[in-house]
Amino acid sequence: MSEISSDVSMANMPVAAPPEISKLSPREWMKENLFSSPFNSLLTVFTTLFLLVVFRGLLSFIFNPIRQWNSTATNLQLFMTRAYPDEQYIRIWFCVAVILILTGVSMAVWQAGSTMPIATLGHKLLGTGALLALLALLAPFSTSATIQWLAGALAVAAVGEAVRRYAGRGRNGRTVSTLTVLVVVLAGLVTSLWVVPYGHHSYIAKRVPRVLAEPGTVALTTKLPWTIMLIVAVAAYLAGGLIRDRLPTNPTRAALLALWLLAPFFLVYLVLRDPDFDMGHVFSTDLPIFLAYAIGGASLLSWLTRPSTGETGRIVAVVVLVVGFCTFLTPMRQVVRLDMLLLAVFALAAPTFAGGPRARRRYIFGWLGILGVMSWLITAINTPSTVTVPGGFFIGGFSITVFVAVLALVISFPLGIALALARTSSMPIFRQLATGFIEVVRGVPLITVLIFFSIMVPLFLPRGMHLGEVAAVVIGYVLFSSAYLAENVRGGLQSVTRGQHEAAEAVGMTTAQKTVFIVLPQALRVSIPPLVGHCIGVFKETSLLAIIGVFDLLYIGRIVIPGQTEFMGSTRENLFFVSVIYWIFAYQMSKASQRLERRTGLGER
Amino acid sequence: MTDTTATEPTGGQTRDLSGARDMIVCEDVSKWYGDFQALDKVSATIKEQEVVVVLGPSGSGKSTWIRCINRLEIHQEGRIVVDDVELTNDLRNIEKVRSEVGMVFQQFNLFPHLTILDNVTLAPIWVRKKPRAEAESQAMSLLERVGIPEQAHKYPGQLSGGQQQRVAIARALAMEPRIMLFDEPTSALDPEMIKEVLDVMKSLALSGMTMMVVTHEMGFAKEVADRLFFMEGGQIVEQNTTDLFFSNPKEDRTKLFLSQIL
Repeated sequence: MSEISSDVSMANMPVAAPPEISKLSPREWMKENLFSSPFNSLLTVFTTLFLLVVFRGLLSFIFNPIRQWNSTATNLQLFMTRAYPDEQYIRIWFCVAVILILTGVSMAVWQAGSTMPIATLGHKLLGTGALLALLALLAPFSTSATIQWLAGALAVAAVGEAVRRYAGRGRNGRTVSTLTVLVVVLAGLVTSLWVVPYGHHSYIAKRVPRVLAEPGTVALTTKLPWTIMLIVAVAAYLAGGLIRDRLPTNPTRAALLALWLLAPFFLVYLVLRDPDFDMGHVFSTDLPIFLAYAIGGASLLSWLTRPSTGETGRIVAVVVLVVGFCTFLTPMRQVVRLDMLLLAVFALAAPTFAGGPRARRRYIFGWLGILGVMSWLITAINTPSTVTVPGGFFIGGFSITVFVAVLALVISFPLGIALALARTSSMPIFRQLATGFIEVVRGVPLITVLIFFSIMVPLFLPRGMHLGEVAAVVIGYVLFSSAYLAENVRGGLQSVTRGQHEAAEAVGMTTAQKTVFIVLPQALRVSIPPLVGHCIGVFKETSLLAIIGVFDLLYIGRIVIPGQTEFMGSTRENLFFVSVIYWIFAYQMSKASQRLERRTGLGER
Repeated sequence: MTDTTATEPTGGQTRDLSGARDMIVCEDVSKWYGDFQALDKVSATIKEQEVVVVLGPSGSGKSTWIRCINRLEIHQEGRIVVDDVELTNDLRNIEKVRSEVGMVFQQFNLFPHLTILDNVTLAPIWVRKKPRAEAESQAMSLLERVGIPEQAHKYPGQLSGGQQQRVAIARALAMEPRIMLFDEPTSALDPEMIKEVLDVMKSLALSGMTMMVVTHEMGFAKEVADRLFFMEGGQIVEQNTTDLFFSNPKEDRTKLFLSQIL
């Protein structure tokens, strides 16, 4: 075949250098962009004035001497976890550490972060200095405070200028990794905990007077854990680098994704419970059930994945699914039902994902692994908790906001994708069920769904079965979120061209294979922006929990803290703080989505 | 290409295929889109190792016919039998036929989210259940055969149209099909890239593949085809061996078409 194809190579063509874009001086830039015509000049002047007024208003709100910012500072722990017992607090830190370790390793494995020219860093610092100076001049400070702030601004600007000089003008040679910058900033913040006298604030319910506010640095129980967390995160990143270099890429990434998926469930039980693993119960009940499913399921799957099984296998898989649903009609252990449903999912997917002897073995090991993890989690959750929280309600504040949001999203993602596929499927029953569900849920306000699930559903449940309040709320969010997700994914599904379907069909793929390998990857990539928008939406909508009386971040800021005798009427300060927290996280998600889009779009289309 | 010795070069000469098996049999195949009849009692038999080219003005039903053969379109009347398997609503038959019949599209339809290598290996691994290593070595030899092994780890969007179409041919060949269908494979290509695709198709024909090609490339038809079909209005107006078709067309419509296109 050597005679074939004179390759059209574009590499050897002479490339003319693009013309140098001459840099405008600040004066020229302003003339061109801000004052190019009388009307534009007018607009510029008015907008600037308007912004200054708004900025000034905001600053005089923040720095007004009547603001009780110490109500926020004193109640930070309440904001984050509500009344989680102090002696068990190590669990919370452990959770944070697990998340940071996963983040660090993932960042290294996925090679997150980019480089930026040091000069840009200098420019940014200069800009920050200018902004600080503006703030100092606008804010209603006393003269001495103004001078202090101006000095600070000058220092920042000076550092920026020094960095810029060091980087050298016009040359874009020296660069710095954005991660390095991040670590330096975080290290600075953590060091400041040890050095800067932020004051030692806390609110101790059992004591009178309950507010503790001493000069000096923050409490050791704050600065020590954060220092450790930073070290853990950096160490995890370095370890991740080693893992990336030593181990094959794809299995590592798959394992990490699985860990991320498991983490929420693991952490929930870690925060809530101290399972004592009653061994008598484990040996008499849990272990036999696990073994029965492990052996029975493995042999069923081994038969199902045999190429010769064919059509009977699919019928058997459907029978397993029906049996799985039937288990909910009669009283029995929850674990038996859940295992049955899991087996049904594996049985249904068997013809698609199993082929050669190696693939079959891998599939059966996958079943055993997932069954094992699930059994362990259920056993852990079923043993009585030793963590008791005052008020009978476990954690609250920001933790419950994150908890509900993450759980709702993790569960509603597969559900939403399934709904979208059902709605676009050619089978009328699935299509109409999915359409009906989506239209009903979308036509109802979220708050009514939440009230329905938290108040009404417990009334309908059979005797002996009860649903925790948070579980009920999470179910409500999952239903709601999956309906919206389904519509977002459906948009992506429709963007996959007819030709892609035909190409997949023409090489003999089954519908399931076509969906998993060809359609969904493309559809989900197109849907990244709406999906991230949806994540942000769910994260913020958890604030509706406040309305049905769950102690979430908003409820604590709006009702609990202003109700403390020491901080009567501090609603505005705390609401401001709460909105800043929401904004920081929502903004980070938005930035992450932009990075994700850039990464997935790179060089692939 | 390793097995060029298997058959004599066709070169438009009439080959004696009378003893060969019937690979594709169409009997009175009809299809309607709403009220519009796209195929009107199309009957034809294509033998093993035969290369046929389907000609005709646009809208004449050529693409519809070729797409019926691996059931991307569903015929409403008549019978289609591919390699002794009749195409009915039975999913197992459809899957069997599709894994035996390779198809190359006008718009290439490569999977844009997968690398070239993954494009080629995906179906062998998941449909044919081949071990990955074997599928990859086979894919590399196929990519060598179509002349672009160095592009294996790029994405389709980084390749030129001609290269993409050659990858599409490799992807279809990776399933080791017994029949290849080409639905206007060069119509979406720049003139300078048409040749590289046609060369691959010629060498494929030389290797003894049964091929059915819808194309407007008369040079290719003259050089490679054993038989030509001319379609118009959903019907086969004329069919003949290549040299007779060009030298002595019987129908007026065919003469008109040839006079316009040659």
